[in-house]
Amino acid sequence: MTPQPSAPGPPRPLKRKDAPSSSNTAGSTSHNKRRKTQVALESSGPTKRKDALSFSATTKNARQDKRRQTTKDARAISSQASSKAFKNGELDVDKFVKAREYEIKALEQGMARAKKALAERAFQQVPKELRRRTASHNVKRVPKRLQKRAAREVCIPVPSKRNYYMNSAEGNRPTSVKSRKPRVKKNALKDPPPAPAKFRKRQIGKSWLPTHLYHAKRAHMTSPKEPLWRYAVPLTPTMKSYRPTHRASGDRGAVAWDMSYMATVSLAGTEQSLQGLLRALGIGASPETKQLWGTRGQRCSSGTRVWEGWLYCRDSFPLQAIAPATVIWCAENEPMSVLGAVAEEKANVQRKTVRKLLIRVHPSAFHQLWDEVLRLAKVQKPQVMVEDLRFEIGSIEITGPASTEALLGALWPSTSTSGRDWPQGSVEATWSSLAEITNPAALPENVLFGFDIVDPRLHHPPHTIAIPQSTQESALLSTLSKWPCDQTQTSPKLFDRNARLKAARALPSQKAINRRKSFAVPGTYPEPKPSDAQIPILLYATRNLQSRNGGQSRAQGTWNLLLPWKTVLPVWYSIMYYPLSTGGQPRFGGLREKRQIIFEAGVPWFPGDFPGTAAGYAWEVREREKRKEDWAKRPRGKRIEWSSVDLGNGKKGEIGDGWACDWERLLTGMAPPTTGKSTEAAGDPSSKSGSVSLPPKPCHITSAAASSLLSGSSPLHNIDLSTALATVTLDLLVRGVPQTCARIYRLPSASAIDSAAISLRNSWLALVPTPEFRRRGREQKQPFPSILPKDAPPHVVHRQLAQSLLKPPQAGEDEYPVCPGEENLIGFVTTGNFNLGEGKGTGIGCILLERVLERVREGGNEGMKGRLCVVRNAGQSVGRLARWDIAG
Amino acid sequence: MVRIKHRYLLINILYPDPKSTSGRPATKPGDEVPYTVQFRRPSPDRMDGGVLTRLIRDGVAELFGDYGSGKVAGSLQVKYFSQATSTAIVRVSRDHYRLVWAALTFATRLPNPVGQPCVIQVVRVSGTIRKSEEEAIRRARLSIRQAEAAAKSSNAATAGLAAATPQLLSTEDDDVDMINGIEDPDDPRDIEEDLDDEG
Repeated sequence: MTPQPSAPGPPRPLKRKDAPSSSNTAGSTSHNKRRKTQVALESSGPTKRKDALSFSATTKNARQDKRRQTTKDARAISSQASSKAFKNGELDVDKFVKAREYEIKALEQGMARAKKALAERAFQQVPKELRRRTASHNVKRVPKRLQKRAAREVCIPVPSKRNYYMNSAEGNRPTSVKSRKPRVKKNALKDPPPAPAKFRKRQIGKSWLPTHLYHAKRAHMTSPKEPLWRYAVPLTPTMKSYRPTHRASGDRGAVAWDMSYMATVSLAGTEQSLQGLLRALGIGASPETKQLWGTRGQRCSSGTRVWEGWLYCRDSFPLQAIAPATVIWCAENEPMSVLGAVAEEKANVQRKTVRKLLIRVHPSAFHQLWDEVLRLAKVQKPQVMVEDLRFEIGSIEITGPASTEALLGALWPSTSTSGRDWPQGSVEATWSSLAEITNPAALPENVLFGFDIVDPRLHHPPHTIAIPQSTQESALLSTLSKWPCDQTQTSPKLFDRNARLKAARALPSQKAINRRKSFAVPGTYPEPKPSDAQIPILLYATRNLQSRNGGQSRAQGTWNLLLPWKTVLPVWYSIMYYPLSTGGQPRFGGLREKRQIIFEAGVPWFPGDFPGTAAGYAWEVREREKRKEDWAKRPRGKRIEWSSVDLGNGKKGEIGDGWACDWERLLTGMAPPTTGKSTEAAGDPSSKSGSVSLPPKPCHITSAAASSLLSGSSPLHNIDLSTALATVTLDLLVRGVPQTCARIYRLPSASAIDSAAISLRNSWLALVPTPEFRRRGREQKQPFPSILPKDAPPHVVHRQLAQSLLKPPQAGEDEYPVCPGEENLIGFVTTGNFNLGEGKGTGIGCILLERVLERVREGGNEGMKGRLCVVRNAGQSVGRLARWDIAG
Repeated sequence: MVRIKHRYLLINILYPDPKSTSGRPATKPGDEVPYTVQFRRPSPDRMDGGVLTRLIRDGVAELFGDYGSGKVAGSLQVKYFSQATSTAIVRVSRDHYRLVWAALTFATRLPNPVGQPCVIQVVRVSGTIRKSEEEAIRRARLSIRQAEAAAKSSNAATAGLAAATPQLLSTEDDDVDMINGIEDPDDPRDIEEDLDDEG
């Protein structure tokens, strides 16, 4: 081959009249040097001649010369001598082509160099009118697109990981450098992860959810000054979403929430210690939950089901409830068949092995639970290790008919180690076969999956999954009935701290993902690699057990997905952009949507609907403040004047504060301590004097305990019920919509001595619609137009007259009964609204159990009568007849 | 501020006399050099930007006298000269580029230290050096393609060279009209558009 022509070197200035032709090939560096010395000589001349000239003038000249020289150098284009290009002057196609190539390269380089040399400083590129003289050296002051360049020009080194890697040689990339594994903080609260410097100031006193940026763009968040439970929580989407959310949750679509604010506590210890701890927290104390330690509960403790229920302060069941919680045991790797082994051996092994479990609880009750758990863990023998996993495990909740489908599109089980498909019956295979399920509640109760998934960004934008036709339905049914996961569930990696850390660290950058995607065949996802990150997840389905009667069949279950904090975002995007087979994409919800859906199912929401718990009471106080502010903001003429609300029977003035569910008033009785109260207080002044200023706080009594108390079958007769609140659902029997803070009254007692009370009771009872009326409902309402034409035939007029006589009195009419007095006040509505699921107004409230106990008992077999109540919205005088039922 | 306006002439120097030029065909038997390659010969070693400047200055002085040389002298500059490809870029003031063009066209011989018959083609007149550089690149690409095509058709053995430089062959067909290896002069409209752009 012919020798290669040398690549174009640095610029070689062309202006060389006196240069011999041999200098064509001379190295440019020597040339430049020569030129520089020449320049120096020239500039030294005038200095000697004109001594009077100031020093600065000469230096200026020298500087100008230097600048001119640099521009000239930059503009020169290198060229090739023919003696070099064509050896011996021989023409040859190869050399000819090479010479042209050289020229092309030289010209291109010359253009690039000239452009660069010509360029001004970055801040000079800013349009004239936007240019600022002051602080033009400040990189932050130039437009964003120029900031990088400006930084380079002012020579501030920008240290970044990438630069570090780029500078290091390709071969010895410091891939082996491992970041320090954070120390396990045993029995200590965890600090929020350090936010990126850019966002640190905005997270003082609160933390962002992993999907904060997504939500902040699309939802109203909690205001910066008032975070909820120390998190910035999305409240509601900015788009109108009340009805769409209702539809998506029940009819078509799916609604997802980032529930990463839910707190997770990990416990590790021997099974004995863990059981002791859970028992002390009140698990299995009530007859309903007793079976948790029996055969049915074995599934929970073997880690194939989750347990949901209330936790209590230490040994204080059934009072002092903390919060509803979810307990998830870590499955053991040995399969269930070992159960057949000798019992003693098994017990021995059990005594030794360390088991793990997670407790998930609402953040508002976290600290209370944490203290309690910590205290109990130290008591156990051997001790239980408690770990706060708050910012380590995030979660996503999704509900709606398409929720399973959307999750299937996002969660791809990682390939098995053998590289083949997952065997029939394995957790991964079972999960993949659930595409047809349109309601997570159809699965076995509280079923749990634990497996690894691949990075969802590798199959981002997700495609609609193929939903098998109904011919295979029987396969699904048999899966559901047998539920093979009970046997095949191995220990989920999410419980393993190292696996969690590894998953978060092994996540490749978006750039790396994009590169892999661009290498993939168009229209396909990148091939999975064995080195891909495996994200450990836990997935469990829950159903709203206490859903409103009649709505049972409609009640949608909910998928709960637990995954490492840092992997929430990619999974979230994958879910959000999944194209549903029924059209559209899953919606996202905020706190309001969460409450709306749960309200429509007739289930109380923690903490808002449980003012008997500490968290719930704090919530009520917070909401009270807010409502009071809203009220105070309105001009005097346009707000409700609470003191002039007509309560009937000549009584005026709202009971307690109109903007509050005034539990203090309910528990202490009439507002200014009446004579009866004061005499009571006088009877025992020593004990009362300290607690006069502190109103008694209500305490919550769970539904199970409350219903057993009501039925009289309870062994709990010795507990103090004076402050016990039970959460109830309210069904309005007539028209009307209860609002938050509405007052709930019982009907006056049938055995009252006062005749007025009896008549009031009877007039309320007369409003109870007959079963026929209820059934036929709407078409019965208006048999005739309310105003008849003048020439109406007499029989029609008569019929209408008869009907109007029979019709129960309407609100606003004189015969409409007034509200019972304050002595019959039993509680307040904590959530009330028009229920889109029911098509009428419903509410969820709390009632003082003591005040209804006798009524329910005296109601006896009639049932219904004992549970009738009157609901009156705060600030209104019209009461509405309703029926309450113990909820949640 | 008024900008000083220039014109940049892209020039090809052709050497019609094969005997007196430095580049002669390879003497190996059977190694036929294609015509396109022979047509664009490299310049002799002594030829450089200075010689070219002298040629132009003398030519202008001869054709237009003191008036012409005075007009041109201030702005004339050889911006680029490549011996291997015999390509040059010459800068003149906009008002007087025709004088230089005429001098180039009438030149038949390089001045004395070289003293060789030549033909100078002005292939492009542009208002910025960038455009003339781009044109030079385009023409270089084109001639590479032509040379390779010619080599391939004449000699199958040299076909391997085509594979060596595939990246240089632009895919779009920006062919200059060629008649027997001699380019058509630029369409006059082209130049005018160019001038409009810069003017």
